[in-house]
Amino acid sequence: MRELEQEALAAIREARDLEALKTLKARYLGKKGLLTQEMKALANLPLEERKAKGQALNALKEAIERALEEREKALVEEELRRALERERQDVSLPGVEVFTGGLHPITLMERELVEIFRSLGYQAVEGPEVESEFFNFDALNIPEHHPARDMWDTFWLEGEEHSLPGPLGEEVRGRLLLRTHTSPMQVRYMVAHTPPFRIVVPGRVFRFEQTDATHEAVFHQLEGLVVGEGITMAHLKGAIYELAQALYGPESRVRFQPVYFPFVEPGAQFAIWWPEGRKWLELGGAGMVHPKVFQAVDAYRQTLGLPPAYQGITGFAFGLGVERLAMLRYGIPDIRYFFGGRLKFLEQFRGIL
Amino acid sequence: MRVPFSWLRSYVPELESPEVLEERLAGLGFETDRMERIFQIPGGVVFARVLEAHPISSTSLKRLVLDAGKVVEVVSGAGNARAGIGVALALPGTEVRGLAIGERTIQGVVSHGMALSPKELGVGEYGGGLLEFPPDTLPPGTPLAEAWPEEEVLDIEVTPNRPDALGILGLAFDLHALGYSLILPEVRLETEKVPLPFGLRVEDPRGALHFTLSYAFGLQVGPSPLWLQRILFACGMRPISNVVDVTNYVMLERAQPMHAFDLRFVGEGILVRRAKPGEKLVTLDGVERELHLEDLVIAGYRGEESFPIGLAGVMGGAESEVREDTRAIALEVAQFDPVAIRKTARRHALRTEASYRFERGVDPLGQVPAAQRALSLLQTLAGARVAETILEEGTPQAQRPIPFRPAYANQLLGTQYPEEVQLAILRRLGCRVEGEGPYRVTPPSRRLDLELEEDLVEEIARIQGYESIPLDLPAFFPAPDNRGVERPYQRERRLRELLSGLGFQEVYTYSFMDPEEASLFRLPPSPWRLKNPLSPEKAALRTHLFPGLLRLLKENLALDRPERALLFEVGRVFGKEGAWVREETHLAGLLFGEGLGLPHGEKLSGYPLLKGLLEAFLNRLGLDLRVEAHPYPFLHPGVSGKVRVAGEEKGFLGQVHPEILKALELPPVYIFELHLPLPEKPFRFQDPSRYPLALRDLAVVVPEATPYGEVEALLRQAAGPYLESLRLFDLYQGPPLRVGEKSLAFHLRFRHPERTLKDEEVEEAMARLLTALRSRGWDIRG
Repeated sequence: MRELEQEALAAIREARDLEALKTLKARYLGKKGLLTQEMKALANLPLEERKAKGQALNALKEAIERALEEREKALVEEELRRALERERQDVSLPGVEVFTGGLHPITLMERELVEIFRSLGYQAVEGPEVESEFFNFDALNIPEHHPARDMWDTFWLEGEEHSLPGPLGEEVRGRLLLRTHTSPMQVRYMVAHTPPFRIVVPGRVFRFEQTDATHEAVFHQLEGLVVGEGITMAHLKGAIYELAQALYGPESRVRFQPVYFPFVEPGAQFAIWWPEGRKWLELGGAGMVHPKVFQAVDAYRQTLGLPPAYQGITGFAFGLGVERLAMLRYGIPDIRYFFGGRLKFLEQFRGIL
Repeated sequence: MRVPFSWLRSYVPELESPEVLEERLAGLGFETDRMERIFQIPGGVVFARVLEAHPISSTSLKRLVLDAGKVVEVVSGAGNARAGIGVALALPGTEVRGLAIGERTIQGVVSHGMALSPKELGVGEYGGGLLEFPPDTLPPGTPLAEAWPEEEVLDIEVTPNRPDALGILGLAFDLHALGYSLILPEVRLETEKVPLPFGLRVEDPRGALHFTLSYAFGLQVGPSPLWLQRILFACGMRPISNVVDVTNYVMLERAQPMHAFDLRFVGEGILVRRAKPGEKLVTLDGVERELHLEDLVIAGYRGEESFPIGLAGVMGGAESEVREDTRAIALEVAQFDPVAIRKTARRHALRTEASYRFERGVDPLGQVPAAQRALSLLQTLAGARVAETILEEGTPQAQRPIPFRPAYANQLLGTQYPEEVQLAILRRLGCRVEGEGPYRVTPPSRRLDLELEEDLVEEIARIQGYESIPLDLPAFFPAPDNRGVERPYQRERRLRELLSGLGFQEVYTYSFMDPEEASLFRLPPSPWRLKNPLSPEKAALRTHLFPGLLRLLKENLALDRPERALLFEVGRVFGKEGAWVREETHLAGLLFGEGLGLPHGEKLSGYPLLKGLLEAFLNRLGLDLRVEAHPYPFLHPGVSGKVRVAGEEKGFLGQVHPEILKALELPPVYIFELHLPLPEKPFRFQDPSRYPLALRDLAVVVPEATPYGEVEALLRQAAGPYLESLRLFDLYQGPPLRVGEKSLAFHLRFRHPERTLKDEEVEEAMARLLTALRSRGWDIRG
């Protein structure tokens, strides 16, 4: 019996897997197992002997059962450990390379500006890039042969007479050009809508000029227009002040100086104090909508059968360059980068949400 | 315009400093582009008088004997070196403009210094001759710097509305309005009652609105005094002679150009008319110009004959120019039609100080005073005798009074400037203020820009200072027709954000395209060409975005060799329908390179990836995508699809045509381009069914060439109302299928919204599918 015990415990200890353990269990404890046989043989022994041997056999059975249980647990654990080990991965290996996208810095800057004005109740609208001479110049009080036209170097389209859709889709005939500013949208919008309103017009504009680090022939502007009864120049200053505060924080200030744009009177150029750079940034032009622009709008409305809507009304307008702000905002040294298309440049703006 | 500080201060003596002036001018609306300190005359440059000038034989050089306090000999090659003039002499040991002047032997003659040209002295651009003064300008040997101090010059921008400020007095009047006192130049003129030796006929009163002609005679033409030359140099002009310099000086002072004709070339008088066919004129710059019928000319006449002697308002003729031997002149001071002058200047590509001012407009009442000012200077500087009569044609138009309400000014500005303050400003600006509520304000005739009440309001604000206008915010409800106008903009912005979120990098490309490249991109030529392109490659407007994306990719590959790229652009393109421009917003995407996957493993890429991304993008907008094979010339004929979004044809998707790729030396590239806006589907929430799904699989066997899209469409149409979804999970070719066949295997999900589907209902649907397939000659795989 001592031999049996040693043999059984040793075998159990050395069982390599659960299958082997099952065999051992059958060998000792199964219906025909060694221990079971011994138990059955007890019946033939005298009582005293039977009692003593019975106790010993029970102890042995318990020992074997315990050993089996322990070994089984160890084997299960071992199996799991192995399985997990097999599934080990190098977590430092690269993952699937999904594409990372991003927005163009001008989109980002424009969005920031539009959001500032949206928070003040402005709505963003857009106009066409190919424009007629009438909306780009004449209706804005910039007649042909006026020296003021020299302020905008213009790309003209070939041909003397073409058509394009007016503010309500009607045919407008005339010489065509690439808009030199977003201001023609002032006229288009006013023809199609009635005051009061606040709008901003972001968009691409064109100037016939050679490019260098600070000049581009194609760039972006944001135009603002607020029209209604009792709109004042103080409101204009307030709008630009809010822009300054939103862009550069509470230490920012605004400065207005007289300047000439044919479609505003009084006219102004404005600068914003940039606390970080400790300097004034000349950002754009502004002013009170010129009475001749209102007259041109109402005259045009009349040709469309619309009643005049801009008599006794005042308004202010402003325009600013988006590139300039983006260059300052992101530390971009050269305006040509924006249309340069180099992905190593564009991809850097992904962090801006 | 160049503003020499000392000159302006001679009219505005209280001006503090150039820096204060810069600030004041900025507040008045004149921005300073540049401030510079000029005229650093070296100490070793002295005034000298030329006593003798001897040609050095067989050279163009001269030996000059000078009185420079002592007698000095120098050699000079200047054409105008002659006895009797004063010059600037650099003594040996002086350094002028980095050049050390020593004693040099030239052609065997020792030169003890150097007589200087304006360029050598550093006061002007002109280097073709000596700087020349009247002989008695200074005692010989006086250092020139004593009479020629340094100067601060502000280069200011004068906007087109302020032609009056193209004369220094115009600025002085504005400064006066700020509170500075003003000293106007005194005009003392002694005239004689003499008959005029010329007549004046203005044939074109629309071109020459006001024309005056004065007579000066007995002139001694010679160099101008130093002070006058100094001002002209400071203003960037070259002194010519006292007579010409006076006309330029008065122009710079009063913004009124004028021209002196040598009387010998005028004939019997002056006729102002348009040019005649074939007429030519050699202008002062020596260029012979063919005149245009619309050009306004100044002509001399004899009887019925007339001959051009000047291009009105632009440039005088060479023949009639004032020379050293000119003794009598006809002085023209006029006001011309700005548009006529502008057209002539443009036609001849000749922008002069005169045309620049005339096309902006001159003071309609300024001609006679300017003529008198010039004549009085000629009297002092050139010994001129002046005829009392000034011939005048045309009636100058002065401004009409403007109604003005101080309350309106405050209403427009948002200010509370007192009425008296406003009226005082207008008066200080030279306006006549009459009447009461509304006032009648007549601006000074030089202020052509003041026409409307708003113009006067700007004057009030300008003089008070824009900084005195408060800050305010308007509060109002927009008129109803403005509601929702920003929806298109916001939607487009959302598209950009969605695409960038899906992994697309946004790029911007130019709106131009190279007309020569349309065929390279297998596109029809652009219908829109620029009249004045920046360069031949930017001479047309783009009709599609994808060529720009391909170019951009090419440049990136050349420089940075990216392994893959996923790009998009939203931008305008320009088509044509009849005479109409059709400007559309397009959205284009580009995929190139490795695609999705592990850097060290397999990749998914190409057409299926780009299509999947496009579909995800559209799904995110609640839209579905259908692509059907359709040949586009610029796409690979086998990978070329028409894109339908929510049923609408919206553009294309495919692989770029190999010929284009070859020409650009690009690897395979996949693109799509859609026109915006995309359709908007009204949204309605649908409660998802909670009843059990019935799942079925179905493998359809069709001829190889059958597009997937047809099979899917048939299944969707035949499956009945309870098909919730359908998804391809296997595409197979090979045994046991016959050659030329393929199998498409689908997972189908059926569900009823309100109850559990019965098995028979699902089987019925499957049977319908089978019938439909068979009726097309297709089958299922057993």
